[in-house]
Amino acid sequence: MKATLAPSSLISLPRHKVSSLRSPSLLLQSQRPSSALMTTTTAASRGSVAVTAAATSSVEALREGIAEFYNETSGLWEEIWGDHMHHGFYDPDSSVQLSDSGHREAQIRMIEESLRFAGVTEEEKKIKRVVDVGCGIGGSSRYIASKFGAECIGITLSPVQAKRANDLATAQSLSHKVSFQVADALEQPFEDGIFDLVWSMESGEHMPDKAKFVKELVRVAAPGGRIIIVTWCHRNLSQGEEALQPWEQNLLDRICKTFYLPAWCSTSDYVDLLQSLSLQDIKCADWSENVAPFWPAVIRTALTWKGLVSLLRSGMKSIKGALTMPLMIEGYKKGVIKFGIITCQKPL
Amino acid sequence: MRLIVHNMLTCNIKGVINKFPLRIEAEKVIKKEVDFNPDFLRHMLAKIEWKALVDGARSMGYTELPDHAPALESDEPFLRKFHHALLELNLEEGSLVCQESGRKFPVEKRVPNMLLHEDEV
Repeated sequence: MKATLAPSSLISLPRHKVSSLRSPSLLLQSQRPSSALMTTTTAASRGSVAVTAAATSSVEALREGIAEFYNETSGLWEEIWGDHMHHGFYDPDSSVQLSDSGHREAQIRMIEESLRFAGVTEEEKKIKRVVDVGCGIGGSSRYIASKFGAECIGITLSPVQAKRANDLATAQSLSHKVSFQVADALEQPFEDGIFDLVWSMESGEHMPDKAKFVKELVRVAAPGGRIIIVTWCHRNLSQGEEALQPWEQNLLDRICKTFYLPAWCSTSDYVDLLQSLSLQDIKCADWSENVAPFWPAVIRTALTWKGLVSLLRSGMKSIKGALTMPLMIEGYKKGVIKFGIITCQKPL
Repeated sequence: MRLIVHNMLTCNIKGVINKFPLRIEAEKVIKKEVDFNPDFLRHMLAKIEWKALVDGARSMGYTELPDHAPALESDEPFLRKFHHALLELNLEEGSLVCQESGRKFPVEKRVPNMLLHEDEV
């Protein structure tokens, strides 16, 4: 059976002036009572003068929470799913239940589809230096470095992940090509314009300030370089819609708490940000249908004997994370959660 | 952390102008052999900030690099030294120090921690 690749919708956007960012959730320190950082109401949402101070230490708390979450859960994930900590890419109508290796292949396919969508695969020779923003244990970095023979630097908030990523690189004889640091995607410790490819695979959802996150991606991209963002978003808001429905927000809030996510934004919000920074060739797509088999598969592996034992050993954060997975499925099914890809090129 | 990475790392503390290079305070350095690839090295030569590499190598105990990269880059003895400094010296434990602010970024188990504190952003 010939596989047909059909990302649900492919939108190539004409450039147009962006007058304002629609979603208040883009900035943690928004003046409007925005969706809360976690489920609790903070000073920020009461609009007090102490917004900035309260919001700033919330950012620190989030950063620490993310680091601890991945310090605790990375080993467990790797044991069961391997070194790619992202969704697999599947044909939309596929009803075949895949084996473990089938899902691993789907995760590789996600990388390849993303590169192809961004137009990178035709320009392989130009890719010499890559940054992997939110690199996990370095699966994408090692894959891309091997594929392009490029130098790849990964950054993560988790010291456990960075060390593991380096160890895996050494084991795969890639340590001269790839290396990993603990650093903040919102304050990348690099000079401007040095990366031919800026890669963010499922890390954008952790960024409390989407505008700053995107600005940093753009800053470190080389002139002519490509930026690829693959991330969890909420659905685009309709004309005149100010925010998600309360039930939708409630669903996301419950997910935010256990996965250490700040407020969500939409794919359109990312597009708006990139347009406001004058990026070229901005493209986006909704790949929600292409990732549908993923969470059910993760739940199935969690419910195996090995999965359950490993979860219990791993700790409360892992267990809570596992219990939240059905909410992801619910979010996708109800059209609240979207799996988005947004790519662009920095002008020369 | 190898010098190929050190050659890219900057201190992004707000207000700091002299962000690069970071001075290395080495506590533990290990040497790990890496395959010699002249093409890769020649390509990297164009991108490397030479003085930062020389100073970094000295901080890690390697003093064989010339003060300036030679004009004839195909000279193999030179490439071997370049290769060793760039790829084979590994800072296992130590600090990267911002020359302007004095801030130390720790390197633990070969991983630099470049996270900034709240008041540095």
